[in-house]
Amino acid sequence: MNISATTGKSKLRKAESRTAYLCLIPSILGLSIITYIPLIAVFILSFFSWKGFDTAKFVGIANYVRLFTKDPYFYDSIQATVSYAFMAVIGSMLWSLMIAMLLNRKVPARSFFRAVFYLPYVLPAMAVYLGWSWLYDYNHGFFNYIISVLGGSKVMFLDNANMIIPSLSMIAVWLSGNLIVIFIAGLQNVPRIYHEAAEIDGANGWQRFWNITLPCMTPIIFYNLLMALVTNLQVVTPALALTSGGPGNSTTFMSYLMYRYAFINNKLGYSCAISAVFFVLIGIFTGILFATSKSWIFYMGDDNE
Amino acid sequence: MMKKMLALLLCAMMVFGLCASALAEDGAVHITYSYWGTPDEAASTQAVLDTYNASQNKIFVELLCIPNEQYTTKLQAMAVANEMPDCGIMNENGVLAFANAGLLADVSDMYEGKDSQPLDCVTFKNEGVTPVAFSGCNEILMMFYNKDMFDAAGVDYPPTKVEDAWTWEEFIDVSKKLTIDKNGLHPEDEGFDSENIVQYGCVVDNWTWQLEVWAQSNGGSWFSPDGKECLINSPEAIESIQKVADLTLVEHVMPLYLGLNDEGIIRSVASGTVAMATGGAWNIGTCMSSSGIDFGIGVLPKMKEAVTACTSGPQVVFSQSKHLAEAKEFIAWYTQEENSWNLIETGIWMPLLEKYYTQEEAIDTWLKDEEFPIKDYDMAKSVLVDYTLSSAKSACWYYTPNTNEFTDLLRSVLGAVWTGDQTAEQAITENFDALSDTITEDF
Repeated sequence: MNISATTGKSKLRKAESRTAYLCLIPSILGLSIITYIPLIAVFILSFFSWKGFDTAKFVGIANYVRLFTKDPYFYDSIQATVSYAFMAVIGSMLWSLMIAMLLNRKVPARSFFRAVFYLPYVLPAMAVYLGWSWLYDYNHGFFNYIISVLGGSKVMFLDNANMIIPSLSMIAVWLSGNLIVIFIAGLQNVPRIYHEAAEIDGANGWQRFWNITLPCMTPIIFYNLLMALVTNLQVVTPALALTSGGPGNSTTFMSYLMYRYAFINNKLGYSCAISAVFFVLIGIFTGILFATSKSWIFYMGDDNE
Repeated sequence: MMKKMLALLLCAMMVFGLCASALAEDGAVHITYSYWGTPDEAASTQAVLDTYNASQNKIFVELLCIPNEQYTTKLQAMAVANEMPDCGIMNENGVLAFANAGLLADVSDMYEGKDSQPLDCVTFKNEGVTPVAFSGCNEILMMFYNKDMFDAAGVDYPPTKVEDAWTWEEFIDVSKKLTIDKNGLHPEDEGFDSENIVQYGCVVDNWTWQLEVWAQSNGGSWFSPDGKECLINSPEAIESIQKVADLTLVEHVMPLYLGLNDEGIIRSVASGTVAMATGGAWNIGTCMSSSGIDFGIGVLPKMKEAVTACTSGPQVVFSQSKHLAEAKEFIAWYTQEENSWNLIETGIWMPLLEKYYTQEEAIDTWLKDEEFPIKDYDMAKSVLVDYTLSSAKSACWYYTPNTNEFTDLLRSVLGAVWTGDQTAEQAITENFDALSDTITEDF
């Protein structure tokens, strides 16, 4: 791809790059003012005690020390966030790949079903969680009604600290309409000829899925995985809409904890410290994903494979 | 063409600006009142301010609308810049933090020379002493019940007089008679199926702050009167929490609630699944009067002594104001009952001033208003008026700072108590240091 490595820069190239930089200015400005400067400010503020209405006091690493040694929520919050993200990501990836495969076939009323599965994604979050809270309710909920009619004993979907993360992950899976759309687009790009060739060789449906569809889909899977991971690690809505962080600390997600410290309890400096730790955590998970990606992603037209 | 338009626009703006500054020189003191909500929502508030501005020419009040979710943050930013409004609305649990930071004015002289003072129990006091704000109205906790369910069970309605208040044991007995499983059995019957209860006897709302009333009723307290010491590990306070949890775990008369949301009445009496529930007076207007349920109100049961809690959002005067006297005068006018009469007559608010609880004439304008949802005058007078005077104690945020952190942590600590995974004693003892830190620690 390296075309211009031969001679010195021509006038044309200079003009071109000037235009390029000129065009880049708005986005560089936007990116630095809206993203990078606040990001740096968060890191700096995390070393201060600041309530928002007083003068910020420099406290060194005191915020971090309290966070790791004394905070009654912090470790529970990491556990809640990671386990939720893990279940929600795996669940929604499997679910949406499956639905996408079904919707990619010539089923009757296909566009209707596509709309049906995408619909949850565009519903207002508050309504979604209120609706599900009724389904999950222990005393008079729909699921528990079905369970007692069938003769089982009631399940505390939302009231038990061990059940709530799986229950909320279910909602996340149900909400993953955006992944389905991307998967469908990916599936339509899997070349027909591979399938035809495999059919002639006598491969059955499962073999074709495993050896053709799945490898061709790996770049899309990677993209969806990354997006789903980052979104689900930043989870906050269920805690705001449904659980207020409970029962116990089981849904005190990191974003929710940050929000509560900063905007309800006026501990802005401290909240910045949580934010910084959270940033590192997301960085680690994303890093792991990228590091392993080379070994399992198949790019068509890539010489290395 | 464009340039001409622009020039015209600029001229127009200048003329308008001149007019505006001329208006400001009307001799009146201009103050700002901050309010949460969108400009649309604030229309009714603006109408009240217009009335005030038209009624006299000494003080002119301007409305500063701040979106609800940015309210505190915005006030914080304005405090740093020394540009706070003169007065405004606030959240009850943020008042003492602002007062401790010196941002609120001492309001002890606000009602000097007026015919009536606000109720003492809805006065915010820094360190339990200096009045730094008054609530905009009053609300107390009480019992709501479904008359039809009581009639069907042949049980007497909850008492309306504080001297007749049920003991905790009587309360449980009545609740058992009102709890029915799918086979029509009660909890004391043989073969009662606690997994399939179709009607529950009671809900004692465990939305965290409301639990404090039971510690007080049991002879304990959560905090010392100056708000500096946490006492929730006292045996009385712990026992009171366990007694509420046992309504679900042992007696099977109350549905499982984790106290994670403020919706006790909506999910119980108002939805027709529970015979009686504790809740704030605002529920008369916000959900019961429109629920279609034939309801009544009564006093809370007592563990040792009859107590109810009172609370409501404050209207404050900020200490940075250069017109403290005017701001106080305005807030005293603004919070008078006539300005919010639609909220009072529909039962959402209870009046703030003492005279509505002590002078018959004032009581009648409120309880005999034809819009008022409770038509039984004796019931309303006994529960809303007499009960407030005899038994109302301030909720914790009237004298304790950082109650938000405290209730957040307590809510998470008590999660395991409601489900029976821990006893109240285990949960509170294990977490007492952290709970205690929330009201003292500064970080």
